[in-house]
Amino acid sequence: MIGLMKSMATTMKHALDGTTFTVEYPEDAPDVSPRFRGVHKFSQERCIWCRQCENVCPNDTIQIVQDDQRNGEQYNLHIGQCIYCRLCEEVCPVDAILLTQNFEFTADSKDEFVYNKEQLKNVPWYKGIDPLESRNPDRGAWIGEGDGEVDYQ
Amino acid sequence: MGTVQLFPEFVSETLGLSGVLGDVVGSLVAAAVVGNIVLAFTGVAGPWAKRKITAAFTDRIAVNRIGPFGLLIIPAAAVQLLAKELIVPEGVDRPTWDLAPLVLPASALLGFSVIPMGRLGPVNLQIADPEVGLALVFAFASIASISLVMAGYASNNKYSMLGGLRAVAQNLAYEIPLIVTAMSVVIFAGTLQTSGIVAAQGDVLFSVVGFDVPTWYAFVNPFAFVLFLTANMAEIGRNPFDIPEAPTEIVAGYQTEYSSAYFVLFYLGEFVHIFLGGAILAVTFLGGASGPGPESIGFLWFVVKIWGFFLFTQWARSALPRVRIDQLIEIGWKGMLVLSFANLVLTAVIVGVIA
Amino acid sequence: MSLEVPDTTETDAVPERTPDELEALLGDLVIDRDDHLNAPGFVIRPDAVQETLSTLKSEAGYDHLSLVTAQEYENRYESIYHLKKFDDPTQEVSVVVPADKDEPVSESGEAVFRTADWHEREAYDLIGIEYDDHPDLRRILLPETWQGHPLSLDYDRDRPQIATLPEHANPLEDHHHDSESDTMFLNIGPHHPATHGVLHLKTILDGEQVIDVEPDIGYLHRCEEQMAQSGTYRHQIMPYPDRWDYISAGLLNEWAYARAAEDLADIEVPEYAQVIRTMGAEMCRIAAHMLALATFALDVNGDFTATFMYAINDRERVQDLLEDLTGQRLMFNYFRLGGVVWDLPEPRGEFFSKTRDFLDQLPGSVEEYHDLVTANEIFQMRTIDTGILPPEVAKNYGATGPVARGSGIDYDLRRDDPYGYYDELDWDVVTEDGCDNYSRLLVRMREVEESAKIIEQCVDLLEDWPEDERNIQANVPRTLRPDDDTEIYRAVEAAKGELGIYMRADGTDKPARFKIRSPCFSNLQTLPEMANGEYIPDVIAALGSLDIVLGEVDR
Repeated sequence: MIGLMKSMATTMKHALDGTTFTVEYPEDAPDVSPRFRGVHKFSQERCIWCRQCENVCPNDTIQIVQDDQRNGEQYNLHIGQCIYCRLCEEVCPVDAILLTQNFEFTADSKDEFVYNKEQLKNVPWYKGIDPLESRNPDRGAWIGEGDGEVDYQ
Repeated sequence: MGTVQLFPEFVSETLGLSGVLGDVVGSLVAAAVVGNIVLAFTGVAGPWAKRKITAAFTDRIAVNRIGPFGLLIIPAAAVQLLAKELIVPEGVDRPTWDLAPLVLPASALLGFSVIPMGRLGPVNLQIADPEVGLALVFAFASIASISLVMAGYASNNKYSMLGGLRAVAQNLAYEIPLIVTAMSVVIFAGTLQTSGIVAAQGDVLFSVVGFDVPTWYAFVNPFAFVLFLTANMAEIGRNPFDIPEAPTEIVAGYQTEYSSAYFVLFYLGEFVHIFLGGAILAVTFLGGASGPGPESIGFLWFVVKIWGFFLFTQWARSALPRVRIDQLIEIGWKGMLVLSFANLVLTAVIVGVIA
Repeated sequence: MSLEVPDTTETDAVPERTPDELEALLGDLVIDRDDHLNAPGFVIRPDAVQETLSTLKSEAGYDHLSLVTAQEYENRYESIYHLKKFDDPTQEVSVVVPADKDEPVSESGEAVFRTADWHEREAYDLIGIEYDDHPDLRRILLPETWQGHPLSLDYDRDRPQIATLPEHANPLEDHHHDSESDTMFLNIGPHHPATHGVLHLKTILDGEQVIDVEPDIGYLHRCEEQMAQSGTYRHQIMPYPDRWDYISAGLLNEWAYARAAEDLADIEVPEYAQVIRTMGAEMCRIAAHMLALATFALDVNGDFTATFMYAINDRERVQDLLEDLTGQRLMFNYFRLGGVVWDLPEPRGEFFSKTRDFLDQLPGSVEEYHDLVTANEIFQMRTIDTGILPPEVAKNYGATGPVARGSGIDYDLRRDDPYGYYDELDWDVVTEDGCDNYSRLLVRMREVEESAKIIEQCVDLLEDWPEDERNIQANVPRTLRPDDDTEIYRAVEAAKGELGIYMRADGTDKPARFKIRSPCFSNLQTLPEMANGEYIPDVIAALGSLDIVLGEVDR
């Protein structure tokens, strides 16, 4: 019986202390950490169309179309298929693709999650956080600094 | 007893009707009022209070969007539940399958006909006061298990079947201790009439620093109170005895196959049953509608008591594990039954010696 | 041979035989040698599997069949039995069984190790090797009507497949039927509140009692092995381990791949990165065990229990820390070959104090769980002496992790086969002797406290780490191409037990064979042993106490 009493007392203590750990989203939007990986943002100005991101992507989420002069024409990214591993951001030499903190995205069908470069450009910052700044100086840690072939296509 | 004017008589007198017509109209109006009060309780309890209480125990906020304190979730939930499609699985045994959800709330509501719910102003909220009131209440309440068996058997689902059979086993094992413990109260009160039992609890047991502790049987015989409380929890199928439903084991037991309005009826029936359990507890052990203040607000005290019992069931639900079916039966037959008879004999002896 | 020097300080003296001694022991059973990086490998005839395994088990003490790997070469099929010792898992041996290309048949090892049952069924299912003497050689992950074997070389991926929905028959109907009693077949799952995912238990009931239960798995099969085989070592495999045991045990899983790949490519991990890895991994273990406790409470208490939310709340706190560290709450992708991707978040002081705050409130929470759960008499009534798994049976089935430790098997790879920074820290392996559901829960709860101890020591170390020595990654080539035909099997102690990776390199930048040893897969296999003869609620509790994650069972 003592055990039962202890259990009952524990839950009652929680009921009476009045604290809650759930929040009233969306009024009380959570703070996400600077490293959080959300929807991508793409900058055509920065991009040099080296296709390294397309190459490193583990599940072929990024699709790049170039003309015969190797100028970039399309940059498509399926944000519903993406596994948010951040390898594209890591591998990008010019910070043209970034993962924002934005985790809020909806669509009526899966197809609508295929973002082209315009849509990717217009992805809003979450709470105005620019990961490029907020992740400094952490971004200095870079993979693939060692020797070996660099595949710039 | 019997000197107090009952609710139907009050209605017919107010309307100036007499004879058979007066009886019929009075009874119907009184039943409608009492029924709606109880249904209003369940309406508040099901979609709103239960969520709020569970949330408080688990450190969450729960319904708060629609209306003040989220109260408008009640009509919203009603519309939502009733607007759902009623799915009738293949191979169900109709009309048993259709009757089961009606029997459960009906049985529980019938029980309220003899419960003295106390006075509200000039009105004495009790529909009938037969001399075998307490026995009648238990008789009505135990019809519920038939409903569960009907549902379990007719659903053509193995989980439902298991749930239905569990319900029978459980109700058989706990009904007897429940009634035997209630009989110890009857020995004290010397009557089966519910109003008589309440009236018998009106004296002062002893006084502590100016506080009069009444002769509620919970204070007179706490042991019987605990026994009754436990058996009552099993009877209404709440933790730690929610075996017939046992989600995570047998999905939802007897109500696995029910949806839409039928599900609402079951849900409702369960809540009415909890409140009936609370009402029986209040009448037999907690002095019915008695409490501080004038007698004319007795109903409010009664409401507090049955809601207190409801709160207790939710509290137990948040903290206590569910016992296993064989353990449940063992506790029922080897523990509760023996203890309740011991309590009965002891009470009889004590009452015999004193009287 | 083993890349690591065997730990000579090991106190329990399990005599280790040299490979040559083993070869002498096996005598003319051995037809060739095929050594792996982690263990000597003996090639044997396909009809001598039982004899070889039982010799190694009874005479050389290799009592743990960790994994059966099957693969197809251009000219042959091959099954590898990775054997270890429960007393000293650094002593390993591989039994390599080639099978004919045209008619791949080899003898089953099931008679020696019960765990081979499911492993060989999987090999049959995915590769197509048939095992003689196997008691029940059916497909295990794919539907029975599947055509072809997906990991064989000539598999046609474009071929349309038909999966039928046959009605399940009661196999025991006839011989349990008499005038007095009858049995009932009950499908628990694939959609059921207590199966923790899409698991299907074919259950046969006699009244409320379970007389036979057979787990039917594969509903969440995603062919993770094949996905890993089509990714590059350097980058593309690492995000996937997070998705095996996906309930936030991600870093532990990543470590399994990292350890195997680093040993395969001979990469040295800086000490600083090892400390960060150890800390992150233990945070994951706390998160995983909290969820195990939470869902176990759901299974036993019913679905309005407060324990669930309290444990989820504590798990949230760990996840906040992990989010700060790795940038994600579940799918971390934090490890890289040769280290980790990010140093601790700046400002470091804030992260340390947050971690310490969590560690400070943890004992209070654990105390609360003891009040709520383990001290509760009804809970004890429900869990003590139910779901019994005797240690011999657990070993025979290859059970590891808290399941094995709840049966009193003192086996923890963090101590017995040290990796990371564990051997420098002060902590204990938790075991309980009850062999029941209660013990398994208790092991997890006590392991949470041990993990907290480890994290605390790591935080102390990291706080004082000199700034110019904070090297988080070794210098690793951009493209890794391990030598052709090198093979390695390495395991780590994940949240559920021994998570191992077997890899065979073929000289390209992608593994030729990538095999996952899932602890849940082996642990789930013990369910019938624990459940038969018990009541339905005990089966549910036993399943909950195994703490399986279907993502890892089915891969």
